[in-house]
Amino acid sequence: MDLLKKIFIALGSMDRRFIFLLVGLSVLLPKLYPDLFTLPIKASSHSQRVFDEIDALKEDSKVLVSFEYGPSTKPEIHPSAIALLNHLFSKNIKVYAVALWPDGNFMATEAFSQVADGYGKKYGVDYVNLGYKPGGEAVVKGLASDIRTMYTVDLLGNDIDSIEMMKDVKNLLDLDFIFSLSAGYPGSKEWVQFACDPLGIPMSTGCTSIQVTDIIPYVENDQIKGILSGMPGAAEYEQLVQDALNERGIVVSPGKASINMAAQSMAHVVIVLLIILGNITYYLTRKSGKKGGM
Amino acid sequence: MNNKLLVISGIASFIIFIYWATFGSWFITGNAPTFVGVIIVSATIFYYIDGAKSGKEIYLRPIPGLKAIEEAVGRATEMGKSVLFVPGISDMDQVDTVAGINILSHVAEITAKYETDLNVPTCRAIVMESAREACRESYLRAGRPDLYYDDMVHYISDDQFAYAAGVNGIMIREKPAACFYQGKFYAESLLLAETGNSIGAIQIAGTGSASQIPFFVTACDYTLIGEEFFAASAYLSNKPELIGSIKGQDIVKFMVMILMVSVFALDSLRQLGILNFDILVLLGLN
Amino acid sequence: MFLKRQMPAIIAIGVGLFILFGHFINNPNVQGFVNNDATQWFDIIASFAIFLGALNMLKLQVLKVVKKQRNWQYSILAIFGFAFAIFAGFFFRGANYITLTDIHPQNVNKLVEYISTVQEVDDPVLMVKGIQGSLASYEIPKIFISRSSAEAFSVTISGIAKDVTLGVKPWGAHVQIKGSLFSWMFFKIFTPLSSTMFALLAFFVASASYRAFRIRNFEATLLLVAGIILMIGRVPVGELVPWWLVSTLMVFGIGALIAPLIPDKKLLFGIIIGGIVLTSGLGILLDWNLAVNMPAILSLPNISEWIFDYPTAAGSRAIMIGIALGIIATSFRIILGIERPF
Repeated sequence: MDLLKKIFIALGSMDRRFIFLLVGLSVLLPKLYPDLFTLPIKASSHSQRVFDEIDALKEDSKVLVSFEYGPSTKPEIHPSAIALLNHLFSKNIKVYAVALWPDGNFMATEAFSQVADGYGKKYGVDYVNLGYKPGGEAVVKGLASDIRTMYTVDLLGNDIDSIEMMKDVKNLLDLDFIFSLSAGYPGSKEWVQFACDPLGIPMSTGCTSIQVTDIIPYVENDQIKGILSGMPGAAEYEQLVQDALNERGIVVSPGKASINMAAQSMAHVVIVLLIILGNITYYLTRKSGKKGGM
Repeated sequence: MNNKLLVISGIASFIIFIYWATFGSWFITGNAPTFVGVIIVSATIFYYIDGAKSGKEIYLRPIPGLKAIEEAVGRATEMGKSVLFVPGISDMDQVDTVAGINILSHVAEITAKYETDLNVPTCRAIVMESAREACRESYLRAGRPDLYYDDMVHYISDDQFAYAAGVNGIMIREKPAACFYQGKFYAESLLLAETGNSIGAIQIAGTGSASQIPFFVTACDYTLIGEEFFAASAYLSNKPELIGSIKGQDIVKFMVMILMVSVFALDSLRQLGILNFDILVLLGLN
Repeated sequence: MFLKRQMPAIIAIGVGLFILFGHFINNPNVQGFVNNDATQWFDIIASFAIFLGALNMLKLQVLKVVKKQRNWQYSILAIFGFAFAIFAGFFFRGANYITLTDIHPQNVNKLVEYISTVQEVDDPVLMVKGIQGSLASYEIPKIFISRSSAEAFSVTISGIAKDVTLGVKPWGAHVQIKGSLFSWMFFKIFTPLSSTMFALLAFFVASASYRAFRIRNFEATLLLVAGIILMIGRVPVGELVPWWLVSTLMVFGIGALIAPLIPDKKLLFGIIIGGIVLTSGLGILLDWNLAVNMPAILSLPNISEWIFDYPTAAGSRAIMIGIALGIIATSFRIILGIERPF
């Protein structure tokens, strides 16, 4: 018993670098041996809501997708973007892309290049990328009143009046849905505060896990129709889209979020075990009156 | 106070006259509830500022994080190390950054008094210039303009994580004894706080970013949560007009609570069929 | 003195009041200024101000190198990175492309083969289809960083079409086009570095949790329990946690809460064991192994979703309102000139 206590106390005061090593291994091993770490993914009600809202859109609906994330948050949000584009293109929905972050341009370009060709979608006819505009909420307000006050050319320099799918789009009221892929400011909050709620345009969002606490009041108020919370939300949505498209005979390979969920799960389990270990050590050291710690 | 009341009544009457004379065409009617809200909030805060200026005693509860500022700078002085002040990663268009700069001016005054090195890495060029002005003024106020130099406030990068990497590098190399994180933060908050913790610095954080508060609470010694951060400059300066504005802010919060309970009660009664009156329509929420 | 003290205050107060009351004035010019122009003025000023910051950063790094201060070698990297980004963005387009006119239909497959030597082709069949639909004029999807590599490739494919022309993407678009020098820098250098810094958070979260989540008092315990439920409930592993483990932990939790009220530890132990036996028996009887029979409260994902939807949303709203009021008060002080951070 004493030996066990000593072991726990020793473990409890281990160098933080061992903790880093354990966390690193917990992420690395599922990536190296994915077959050993297959886990079922069940959609939460929020992810299901997002899927249902997009699925309810009719063919030739117009959806604005706003890219507000960069390379650092790409692993969390980009899988949502890919799954969303798969979902929208499979339903022949027109996609209008904008970016409130400069990095969002690159993410949008990459997402379209990954998905559009597989559905035979043509730029300017089925999707258009208007690009980045600085100004945050001013851009959102501008788009709400008149898109042409914000954008006169698209990302590639084409006059937007020469783009077929922009002909009957004057402002956000001409769109059927807005989807914000957001990692911070400006992002989902600005869309809901300055466009979607005042104009009554339905909106969903995919955001980082950290942002969920900020956005959840809007979801609860039904101002945002569902939320894809970080990588777990992205994985759930990927699963729903994959199942739906497979039913329609469209083969979609598992998305990156689904593949990475095993790694995230293991990391969470390791952190929880470390917390429990830390508390056992804290209890033992407090009991024996010694000082323990990291 | 009576004269002020006369002036304010005069201005209000003038506005109402303009509204009536132009048949309301100069005013956006859909914004009426917001306008009324702005007037009530402004009047309340102004009333308490005026009250404080005329000598009324206002009690502010002690905030441990603010009391610890001088203690933290003192610790850095004793150890012969520097003080690091991080004013967040947003620009001056965010009120959090402005509040952070206000706190910086107080910290700079203390570092000038104690002759401690101050390092202020910034993420935006405009913030750099504002922070320089604030520090220069503070050092002048403390009677030590000779200790101020421009490069104590310097620019690192606009990019969030490049900035975090730069600040972490400063912390690891220079090992400041006190770290202040006062401003708008996002995901880099825990990177900064954990690195500060690893070097054994005393850390005082304050932010208006609700999602980052838990990270600061976990890793820092003191955290100013929510309104405490915005009240900090008023608290530290001890100026009556600023303290009066905090009291006004608290009264407004109380009014908001009453409004929430009233709206909830009235709407519940309407939904039960007891009342015909829809408060949500009056407030422009339906 | 007027320029340093009174002028900034006049500008701040004047513009602040104008923007505040401008929201309520029904005039298109006023509305246009308030909604668009004011923010764009700020963006323009901030864009010019970037020069100040960049020059300051360069100055400090160059001084470090010149004076050979501690770790001056890292400053060389900083200066080189800065210079490279400026070069790729402003001085070198690095976005050359090749357009083929009147492609001979029988050469389409050969063309795809040639393209596959310079770029990975995921779906050759799709590419063949795409080329066949654009035989009159087809732009090869590969972007060449250097003109010479584009010229060398154009020589290779010269027999494929009637005409092979070299072009270069316009300034501005060159930073967006995938394959250009700037795009290469963004995806191959900036993206991995940013991702690495963000990934550090995972390690820091682990060490911070390990240090901070201790059962010191009731609030800390509540934080610990909620944190564990959310961490496990939000990932697929949460689905694998069996109902009997959740019910057992709940019984232990209730036992911990009522422990101070029951001085007799044997009685407490009996209550806990009884609770575990009762819940387990109930579960076996009602076949809670089947998901459709299991009460929602015994599923960690459901509990974590409830925590998100109710306590978290409520707390988040409260903090948001508090922060909003703080912002209002601070803005009020700045607009009235009571507080002058400038």
